[in-house]
Amino acid sequence: MNLKRQLLMVSVFTLILPWAGCEFIRETESALRIGQQQMLSGTARAIAESMQQYGERFPGQPVNDDHLTGSRLYAHSLDAAPTIDGYSDDWPIPATAFGSLSGTDGPIDYALGIYRNQLYLYARVADRNVVYRQRNGSIANTDAPFADRITLTSISPPSDAQEFVFSAEAPGLVVAYRVNRNGFRSEPLIRAIWQDGAGGYQLEARVPMSILGSHLGLSISNTDASDEEPVRQATFNTRYPGRLVTAVRDLQSVAESIVQPGMRLLVTDRDGWRIGEAGALTQPTSREIDRPNPWLSLIYGALVEEGTSDAFAEPDPSGRERQPYVNEALSGTAAAGWFRSPASGTAVVSVAEPVVVDGEIVGAIILQQGTDAILSLTNESLARLLNVTLVATVVVAALLLGYATWLSRRIRRLSIAAENALDAKVSPGQLPSASAGDEIGDLSRSFSNVLVQLGEYNEYLRTLASKLSHELRTPLAIVTSSLDNLEHEDLSDASARYTARAKDGADRLRKILAAMSEASRVEELVKSVEVQRVDLSVLVSQSVAAYRDIYPEREFVVEAEPDVAADVAPELIVQMLDKLVDNAVDFSAVGEAITLSVKRDDDRVLLGVHNRGPKLPESMRDRLFDSMISVRDADSDEHLGLGLHIAKIIAEAHRAEIAAENVNDGVLFTVHLWEGLQPR
Amino acid sequence: MPKRIAIVEDEAAIRDNYTAAFQREGYSVDAYEARQPAMDAFSARLPDLVVIDVNLKNDVEGGFELCRELRSQAPDLPIIFLTARDSEFDAVSGLRLGADDYLTKDISLPHLMARVAALFRRLDAMQKPDGNESRLSRGELEIDVARMVALWRGQPVGLTLTEFWLVHALARYPGHVKNRQQLMDAAQAVLDDNTITSHIKRIRKKFAAIDSDFDAIETVYGMGYRWLVDS
Repeated sequence: MNLKRQLLMVSVFTLILPWAGCEFIRETESALRIGQQQMLSGTARAIAESMQQYGERFPGQPVNDDHLTGSRLYAHSLDAAPTIDGYSDDWPIPATAFGSLSGTDGPIDYALGIYRNQLYLYARVADRNVVYRQRNGSIANTDAPFADRITLTSISPPSDAQEFVFSAEAPGLVVAYRVNRNGFRSEPLIRAIWQDGAGGYQLEARVPMSILGSHLGLSISNTDASDEEPVRQATFNTRYPGRLVTAVRDLQSVAESIVQPGMRLLVTDRDGWRIGEAGALTQPTSREIDRPNPWLSLIYGALVEEGTSDAFAEPDPSGRERQPYVNEALSGTAAAGWFRSPASGTAVVSVAEPVVVDGEIVGAIILQQGTDAILSLTNESLARLLNVTLVATVVVAALLLGYATWLSRRIRRLSIAAENALDAKVSPGQLPSASAGDEIGDLSRSFSNVLVQLGEYNEYLRTLASKLSHELRTPLAIVTSSLDNLEHEDLSDASARYTARAKDGADRLRKILAAMSEASRVEELVKSVEVQRVDLSVLVSQSVAAYRDIYPEREFVVEAEPDVAADVAPELIVQMLDKLVDNAVDFSAVGEAITLSVKRDDDRVLLGVHNRGPKLPESMRDRLFDSMISVRDADSDEHLGLGLHIAKIIAEAHRAEIAAENVNDGVLFTVHLWEGLQPR
Repeated sequence: MPKRIAIVEDEAAIRDNYTAAFQREGYSVDAYEARQPAMDAFSARLPDLVVIDVNLKNDVEGGFELCRELRSQAPDLPIIFLTARDSEFDAVSGLRLGADDYLTKDISLPHLMARVAALFRRLDAMQKPDGNESRLSRGELEIDVARMVALWRGQPVGLTLTEFWLVHALARYPGHVKNRQQLMDAAQAVLDDNTITSHIKRIRKKFAAIDSDFDAIETVYGMGYRWLVDS
């Protein structure tokens, strides 16, 4: 991964900023919410305590009589009286507030409401075949002819039950009958309208509370023919219905007097049934509703803590509050919940507090408040934060990218310059960034130092052989001249033998010194190189004739194109061939062929010397032609690794390229000469 | 009267060895270790032959300087450089200053003795009347073996002793290839390939100075050289 990409990745970390901001906002929001919740809890506790004095107003414990505890009906407090006309469109309650039973022919929807001590009943019954009561039909509906009918069962324990029966002889006004142990009679205080509708009928009725007991149940009997026994569905499965639940007027008015603007106060009995409701939550202003910035709300939804949908904060349409925090309060512990509108982000904080009278929980109060203020704070600061950090991130990324580009270009230039200097094996001039004060400047200066030292070392190695041979020549002359003189003395046989050995040794030493100084002499020679047009085919062929004499144990093969001429210094080229052939002989076995080739290659001439034998180690390929480098075994004498160096010097003097490569069955040395060598 | 040889050499051991060797050959030897004492003695009386080391202690080019001064005093005095410096540049410089030979210290004492003797022989021959018996004639080339002088088209070619022997060895059997070893033996010197190449180059130049079309010495690559005679 290059520097640019690394820094770009680092710049990604600036995205931590908006994340931290969001985290902060979330913290703030929940802190504010918790504060509001605590404040609300305090208020709720105070309200709950003040409610204690109205303890007796809370519906009491059900009578300890199992068969009486059936399902309860809830009568909504109505803001206005519906017109009794058989239609529900003027009922001031939401459709979800309707209860439902499943009848034989389809659903049965019903609702109960109370307005000014009048109980309003509405029921819509799905019925494939509406059967009206015949004029002589039984009210009790125990014998044929049967009819469809709706019954309200009312009881005030411990007194007896009575039923109000609605059974129509025809659509329109229905006469209700009161049925009890004593028989039945029509009840003129009840007004009811029966309407036929698509797939069934509706009944709307108004019953004064004064004639009803505390417990109330609804049952529907359905038959498909007058001689068919009807099927009965009821809101209660027990023998008697449960208590009718509705707002308690005293508690309602207390709640209304207590509640503050923007809050909603709900009062429930010990089972969670709502018996008082006052106040309303502040609706979000139209400005906030108009502004649901889609991507903002998306991010908002992703970043800000999510709550339960605010629909659950609304009073339960069934009349019974069943939120977990309410249940907790009813079991004695104050609890809180919070809700968020997914559309606007508005949150509702809700606390529930038990009302305890004489150590007994008689009910609970629920206090709710919206969190408009927090929301707008969150929204606006979030938008600002996102914008600012987004710009900051882009700017930082761009800056880092630019900086990385600049930095990596400097480093690359330095590395290229260093490599070039290394390849050229000359001490470099100024490397890039050498005057910079930073670490790259340091690096550049270190590189320069290393390269200078390397250059000096190379120069030292290059001249080491000739210097050494020069310095050794005088002491060697002392030895040889002394030995020469010694031969003229009267020597014993033994002395003469030793003297002869010493001369042999000195002679070998001389040869080594000559080889060592050869390179420097060739270097001098090539400075004054004088080229002439030479037929290299002839040159190589003649040379090979000589090599056959010198190395009789090798086979020499010439592959020469005829008439390949080039501008060269022939003596030097021969010397170069000598070195290459000497090398080839050393690395091949007795009897093997050494092939010398001359080829034309466009305006160049290719000389090749090939021998079978071991491959060159890859690591040595580049250094093979350097001074004092040898891949021979250490025990071979008189080889100082100068032969190929001399070949290289001669090749370079001709501006030719010399190279060694491993081929299938051995090693091939090639020299690319220019056919016409222009003077430098 | 024995010939007098002066040796200017800063290295005592070599100086003494050479002195002993020359004395054994019957020469009278004066040895000096620096330029100034040598010059002082030479101004009093010139020797018959001088062997000079180029590098005289701290006087790095003292030998060259000495040669120059000596040559201005005595144009015909044989001077031999005997030095550890084997570079082509030094050899050319030495010969340009008028030295008769430029030898490296690789040379063995017998070879050195032979060379000195040859120089004296040439000197003696120059002073004798011309004698035909020692002449060699190959086309345009004439060689006076006794005087060790080569002529091309009747003009003397200023060859050093080594060069003369190389030309002599080649021209003696025209058409025969002489390899480097043979040439080395003829010149009575230990010369490596490069030195022989340089010598041949110089010889060609010296002939070419007289005759720009000179091409009598042919290179046989990998083998050596031969003398061609126009048919």
